[in-house]
Amino acid sequence: MSPRRLGQCLLLLALWSFASVGSAHPLRLSLSQIEYSDEQQTLTVSLRLFLMDVREALVFDPDSTELKFCQADEAEYAERLLLEYLNEFFYIRVNGNPVDLKIKSKQLSGEGINVALAIEFEHRQAPPLTSLEIKNAVFTDLFFDQSNVVYVHINGEDRSLMLGKDTPTHELRF
Amino acid sequence: MLIRQTVSIVCLLALFLGACSSETETEVAAPEPSAEDAEAALIARAMEIHDRVLTADTHADTPLRMIEPGFDMAERHDPNESGSKVDYPRMKEGGLDAIFFAAFVAQGIRDDDGKSRAKALGLQMIDAVRDSIEANSDAVGLALNPDDAYELEKAGKRAIYLAIENGYPIGDDVSNVELYFDKGVRYITLVHATNNDLADSATDPKGPEHDGISPLGAEVVAEMNRLGIMVDVSHGSDEVFYDAIEMSKAPIIATHSNARGLVEHKRNMTDDMLKKLAENGGVVQLTMLSDYLRDKPETPERDAAFAELSASTKPAAEMTLEERAAVRKARMEINEKYPVALATVSDAVDHIDYIVSVAGIDHVGIGCDFDGGGGIDGVFDASEVMNITIEMVRRGYTEEQIAKIWGGNVMRVFRDVQAVATELQAEEAA
Repeated sequence: MSPRRLGQCLLLLALWSFASVGSAHPLRLSLSQIEYSDEQQTLTVSLRLFLMDVREALVFDPDSTELKFCQADEAEYAERLLLEYLNEFFYIRVNGNPVDLKIKSKQLSGEGINVALAIEFEHRQAPPLTSLEIKNAVFTDLFFDQSNVVYVHINGEDRSLMLGKDTPTHELRF
Repeated sequence: MLIRQTVSIVCLLALFLGACSSETETEVAAPEPSAEDAEAALIARAMEIHDRVLTADTHADTPLRMIEPGFDMAERHDPNESGSKVDYPRMKEGGLDAIFFAAFVAQGIRDDDGKSRAKALGLQMIDAVRDSIEANSDAVGLALNPDDAYELEKAGKRAIYLAIENGYPIGDDVSNVELYFDKGVRYITLVHATNNDLADSATDPKGPEHDGISPLGAEVVAEMNRLGIMVDVSHGSDEVFYDAIEMSKAPIIATHSNARGLVEHKRNMTDDMLKKLAENGGVVQLTMLSDYLRDKPETPERDAAFAELSASTKPAAEMTLEERAAVRKARMEINEKYPVALATVSDAVDHIDYIVSVAGIDHVGIGCDFDGGGGIDGVFDASEVMNITIEMVRRGYTEEQIAKIWGGNVMRVFRDVQAVATELQAEEAA
């Protein structure tokens, strides 16, 4: 799948909690997807986070309209705050080396309390990819029951795992 | 309500008999039991019933937990620390005899890549459950048929059934239904939070796409009928429910839904749906999600604490990383000090009472949705499910009624689904 296709895929990836639609998310959940193929030589990382949770983490108010993500008047410091937070709670290491994640695109989808912020990163990576270490502890500093599901697709091999407060990092070998 | 009237009549009868007894046997009236003693006796009686009946929970998203590196179902976890709601020790503590572990796959793009990845994830979770059962065969067993739960209970083991939440991993290949059946899957929830190729979701912001179940979804329902897989309509739109009633040759199930007559929520079932479900011979399994059980309460102290904190902090963009971390910590402390009150066991049993009054005692069961957001005050995890029984006993439900609610009804539906499958396969062979 091309990175562009992956982006489209993630835009449609339903982040809704299992229960969905209500006054709050019954389950604290994020979804992320990591993809790489030797052919493309591009590591694509996508995060999909509840916008309410992002606001809570960055400006301490789940209902704040201050940052205006993905709008024409997005706050100039919005991306900085986002990256500073993610750098603390999320990383990828390929073959033992940290990946410098740069935002390629951001997009909002969904309605009401279920609005999700999709963030896509890209990184050029020469083959072979033999190991992938993932840390995903986003929002575990806010919610004791935060679960972060990670879908991994490396050279056609699909693996998935769940990370959270108890197990924030995991290394996969290929 | 009928159940409560029954309780009153039973109480009056007991008082009358008690009075007669005191006249004939002794001249000194026995002291009235204290409220504490009466409560202890009620709990003891409820626990005996809880122990005797088959207790089956039809919906837990625990397979997602099982792909967490290092997560061990044989270890007891603290739900307030880890968020985990089910493991084998807590099933034993709660007297939960059987559970359906649903492999949940979030809806993604509906192309070949997306479907094939959904299938891979679904199979990974199913295999994780089967591996866990094998590794803990002294405590649990894989259950494939209704009787397996009763047999495993006799053997002192917990029964683990398999299910899939969201038909997305079926893709557009109906033969996958048989693949999942062969893996042990015994119900499939047709759709989840957004529409898929099979059916419309109750909660897709884009609204209906198929006006219920699609032609492909109809094929899948027919194949589920042929194999003996229960058709789960939870998460489906109202039209999906009515289509399933129409299309399915076997009774259907809603594995985790409540009554819309008590709480207006698209995921809950209307009175008409409950009545139709009863006519169909199906069952709705009550779920322990606060927002489906009661209207959200006011939280003035919590709101005031957050307002006070906000007033004392400078704009986030001007803070150092350390200052931001400190504010997040303070907010977490407020969350812990003034949590939004969860629904209670009483709220949950109100829904049981309501469904019984609309659909009848034979059409309600329990599907807590643990590890999928479920968990209320008093039934926060698998170790506390006996509190549902205690509340039912308090309201006058008999052991026979409780046995139906806790497992008898869903197992009846399961048997009916298998009987239909046997007939269909015989017709096919003829």
